[in-house]
Amino acid sequence: MSSTNTSSDLSSEMEVDAFRRLFPLRFHERHLLESIRPDARPLGKARDTSLALGAVASAHGSALAKIGCTTMLAAIKMEVMTPTTESPDEGCIVIDFHMPPICSPIVRPGRPAEAAPVVSKQLSDTILSSGMIDLKELSLVSGKAAWMAYLDIYCLDADGALFDAALLSAVAAFSHLEIPVVSLNDDGRVVVVSEEDAGKLEKEAVNKEKRKLKLSTISFSLTCILHKNYILADPTAEEESIMETLMTVVLDSSFQLVSLYKPGGPVLACTSAIQDCVALTRQRVKELQKILNEAISDMEVD
Amino acid sequence: MEFVSPEGLRLDGRRPMEMRQIRAEIGAVSRADGSAVFEMGNTKVIAAVYGPREVQNRSQQINDQALVRCEYSMANFSTGDRMRKPKGDSPARCPMFLEASTTIPTILGREGDFKAINRDISGHSPDHGSMHIDAPNASFSGTRSACINAATLALADAGIPMRDLVTSCSAGYLNSTALLDLNYVEDSAGGPDVTVGILPKSDKVTLLQMDAKLPMDTFENVMQLAIEGCKAVATYIREVLLENTKQLEYRRGV
Repeated sequence: MSSTNTSSDLSSEMEVDAFRRLFPLRFHERHLLESIRPDARPLGKARDTSLALGAVASAHGSALAKIGCTTMLAAIKMEVMTPTTESPDEGCIVIDFHMPPICSPIVRPGRPAEAAPVVSKQLSDTILSSGMIDLKELSLVSGKAAWMAYLDIYCLDADGALFDAALLSAVAAFSHLEIPVVSLNDDGRVVVVSEEDAGKLEKEAVNKEKRKLKLSTISFSLTCILHKNYILADPTAEEESIMETLMTVVLDSSFQLVSLYKPGGPVLACTSAIQDCVALTRQRVKELQKILNEAISDMEVD
Repeated sequence: MEFVSPEGLRLDGRRPMEMRQIRAEIGAVSRADGSAVFEMGNTKVIAAVYGPREVQNRSQQINDQALVRCEYSMANFSTGDRMRKPKGDSPARCPMFLEASTTIPTILGREGDFKAINRDISGHSPDHGSMHIDAPNASFSGTRSACINAATLALADAGIPMRDLVTSCSAGYLNSTALLDLNYVEDSAGGPDVTVGILPKSDKVTLLQMDAKLPMDTFENVMQLAIEGCKAVATYIREVLLENTKQLEYRRGV
């Protein structure tokens, strides 16, 4: 009696939940044969995405992004610093991604998640290299003062596609960012002007009013799983743990390729698979652009 | 600085005995066994419970009891200036963490409650869950209280048997007036700040903390006020839990 025979006999008697836990791969493959996934999504469709700008009132720019159950909270705090001598006209952006233990049962206290530094580096590279933000815009007084933007992204619920949600929340937070008003105080140092003092400035403000950062191009991403000859877009944590080959494609708003990331995995991707992933990402970029624009216009209405 | 105006209004327009607006939500973190979001004014805390699990550190294992491990962290953007992690910082050194991790497990459940579960699971004594509290939007004052309230809700959502809820609230004394539920500005004023945690049904105090000096009779007033605040929070938490149970019943078609 071969083992496959026994399991197929068992499967006809077992409950669905038990089958899902004991034979996860077969459970998912049964669905893939019908071109559908356990949560009833077609293979190329991403989960419901929502964005809320301004989630953190105390930060200068913030956003809460949810893709399915994956929730990311991004917040930007600006501080004034002296620029380096090599680039006196440029500010600086520091990106940090955290996965606190509340986000997932796999993350244990005292032991940081394995995915956290990987996503952190990926995010940092993507955002800084895509040219979304011109660092020269962050300069205040050439050679003396420039903005340092600290972007902190917290994962509140980790249910797959962490990089996508993190990038979306980062981009939304930058869209929401308002650079605070500063002025030179008596010591010649640049000081942030708080709301109440804005009316009674004695010294001239260095920048007159709160301004928004100009984003030259906005990048969006889509993570896909490659399994045999199926391509599943926007995986959940369950799917990611079973079928381990992931590929992330990042495109900017003019559909140019910003980044392609395939960190190994049992499945080797042929060129046609990569092209299919890029095509899926292109569709997703259109969806995400619409969602981001709606979120921004909702904020402006207020 | 004037914290209570001559008309009797505080900086944010509240009366001295008025609490900030509370809001609670259960089941916020989908992957957790139990979770809750608790807001007190602008302070927002998320708590999640995971378990039961194997005890990681064998030396801490108690053979007939379960262990509740608690970790507390604050987001970098949550306070006024961005908090920078000092080099070589371990979470254990943060004083808030130490307080949270000792008060919360000791105030919940005693041997009796966990023993029953242990018998069913037998073998190793399970780590009855790590509780993680994340404070993404916190002011220092009321963070402790909000965390304890969030933790109670999360444990209730996880279905862990508890003798009683634990609720917490803070009160202070500024401009010769006892004030309930201090916000960030009032707390940073340097006046006394009394935080109380009670078991509302049995009317017992489990957590009592105060810093700065206060004469005895004033202290009693302030503590009484804080206890009233705790009871108000308890009423609200019970409503939320009841509503949640009704929803569950409704969904099951009971």
